[in-house]
Amino acid sequence: MAQKKNTAHHTMIEQLKLQVGNISAAIESQGQTVFGSSNLMSGDEITDFSIEFLELMVVLLDVPNPLDHDQPAFQALQGFFGSMSKQILVRGGKMEDFVRYMQFLQRCFIESLKEDKNVTVEDTRGILLLLSSVFNELTLSVFQAYIEEKEKTIYAQQQELRETSTPITEIWDGVLTLPIIGTLDSSRTMVVMEALLNRIAAERASAVVMDVTGVHSVDSQVSHHMIQMVRAIQLMGATAILTGIRPEIARAMTSLNIDLGNVTTRASLSDGLKEAFKILGIEVSAKA
Amino acid sequence: MNQYGYHLTPIGGGDFLLEPMYGLDTSKADELIEGILLRLQASKSVRLYYDLGEITIIDPVYYTWLELLARACCTMNVRMVCIHMQPTAAFALSHFLQGDPAFETALDVDSRNSTVV
Repeated sequence: MAQKKNTAHHTMIEQLKLQVGNISAAIESQGQTVFGSSNLMSGDEITDFSIEFLELMVVLLDVPNPLDHDQPAFQALQGFFGSMSKQILVRGGKMEDFVRYMQFLQRCFIESLKEDKNVTVEDTRGILLLLSSVFNELTLSVFQAYIEEKEKTIYAQQQELRETSTPITEIWDGVLTLPIIGTLDSSRTMVVMEALLNRIAAERASAVVMDVTGVHSVDSQVSHHMIQMVRAIQLMGATAILTGIRPEIARAMTSLNIDLGNVTTRASLSDGLKEAFKILGIEVSAKA
Repeated sequence: MNQYGYHLTPIGGGDFLLEPMYGLDTSKADELIEGILLRLQASKSVRLYYDLGEITIIDPVYYTWLELLARACCTMNVRMVCIHMQPTAAFALSHFLQGDPAFETALDVDSRNSTVV
């Protein structure tokens, strides 16, 4: 079997050597059609990629077992397709186009076999099996790279959303406001608390107005997080004022036996700000 | 280096500032508290500011020490106010704190209001 495989590899390499000009031209032409027309790659890049791909393919076919994933030749080819697919995706290309391009590459090799009358049926079968196995693995690794890239993007977007959804603003010297919108889960509470406590330390803030008008529901965990946040603010030496608690949330907190006895609460953000100014001894009044 | 592991400085108006150092051995709490109270009583102190500026994490052991000192101060009508609590310390303490601590907190000595937690 190993002997048969080697025969197939050698035949393949011989074919490549003979047909390299035709294959290269076909790959480049297809690359131009798929990527060049939509400005995903420049002409020079397409040429470079075609040459590099053919070189890596020859190196892979030259090793005793091309399907061994741990060998450098296979990993180099995997890396090549991984970085190429990432580049295409970053530039706005579609995954399906890239996979079709890979299928085309495979087809180029298969079609090149027609030209040689000396290649036996057995050799052809071996080559086809080899090519399909190699390209299947490569397609899988491209998909893996695609998923990793997507996950990275989603994670980055989540981080960005977390930061922008909890804007801590110094509304007056020593007065911070934090409107909380959406759901407070454990990970978000950690992010908010860390940012808020650091801001209190940095700005020497005396009062923090936390507005929860945008929070539509609470469970025991969320209430616990809110109490924890208020407590941490108080431990820093600042006053925490909780504003905008909706009636349904107030009712839910009462049924959950959450004690807000030690927490300063006000009906609205403006009332909360008035309280904060009062704490600081500031009076804001209309011009006479 | 102070042999007790802290600096206790009168800052005027019956107020004292306690600055713990790395050598503060909280396992000798009784001895430390007696020493501190002795000076506070002699100076007719009404308020003790405990500077937590160098304490990055307050664990249950350190919290127990703070509680003991605060309660002891309270028995002598001295208010203990913890100042300069670091964000990391506040974060850690808020996680395991069940009830209200025996001490008050404030941003710093100059803060107009201390907060009763």
